Amino acid sequence: MTAVQRVELRDLRFAGAAMVAVGAARGVSHSSIGLPCPLRALTGIPCPLCGMTTSVSAAASGHIATAFFANPAGLVAVVVALALLAVPRRESVDLPRWVVPAALVFMWVWELFRFGIL
Amino acid sequence: MTDATTAPVGPRANFGQRFAAWLVDIVIIGVVEVVLSAILGRAAGQGLGGLLGLVYVIYLEGSPSGQTVGKRLLNIRIIDADNGGPIGYGRAVLRYFARILSALPCLLGFFWMLWDKNKQTWHDKITTDVVVPTDAYPVEAWPG
Repeated sequence: MTAVQRVELRDLRFAGAAMVAVGAARGVSHSSIGLPCPLRALTGIPCPLCGMTTSVSAAASGHIATAFFANPAGLVAVVVALALLAVPRRESVDLPRWVVPAALVFMWVWELFRFGIL
Repeated sequence: MTDATTAPVGPRANFGQRFAAWLVDIVIIGVVEVVLSAILGRAAGQGLGGLLGLVYVIYLEGSPSGQTVGKRLLNIRIIDADNGGPIGYGRAVLRYFARILSALPCLLGFFWMLWDKNKQTWHDKITTDVVVPTDAYPVEAWPG
């Protein structure tokens, strides 16, 4: 049996809705306001979440290709956030334990390629 | 409920509460910095303001209540993850600086609580604490 991790959806739904709202506002207004990655600012090496601000803003305003290349996880995050809003009564979901670490490793490798480190 | 010898297994503070509490605290620290900068000049004001912010967070999070003003307004507190007691000043210092690690990869360590079983950020894990609602874990006196 695969080890699973129960994830409560209430906080994720709230944070996801806020993320999509900020992303859409940022995309529509062509704002460049954002948090520079502290790790990249200090070391030049991107972190797994680098590109997520760009990606979520682009995805939330319909620019799918831009979103995908900045960080594919941003597209997934927007889709998941909208899906969570579509099922407001669902309280938790069981994820295999490897999902979050594997996603972070994938995101990090993507960003290391994107910034020419690998 | 708050038996200081048993691990707290009750509810945890949610993301919205913790985010709002953080906002209140940075507004308080920010206002102090602005006032001090106006009086002492920018560099000295920000330096002293930053130092007071550090003392504010460490003193209140390490106190028996485990509550900054923000956490008090949002009815949440920090307690030891193993015995439900206060984390004390030493671990409050550790927690303050462990926040840097949480912030380093684009705040990933803060977002971690969104899918963590105990709703712990990285700095909660490093300090072995949990953030809980005060209706389940009442505060006897503030700051205590």
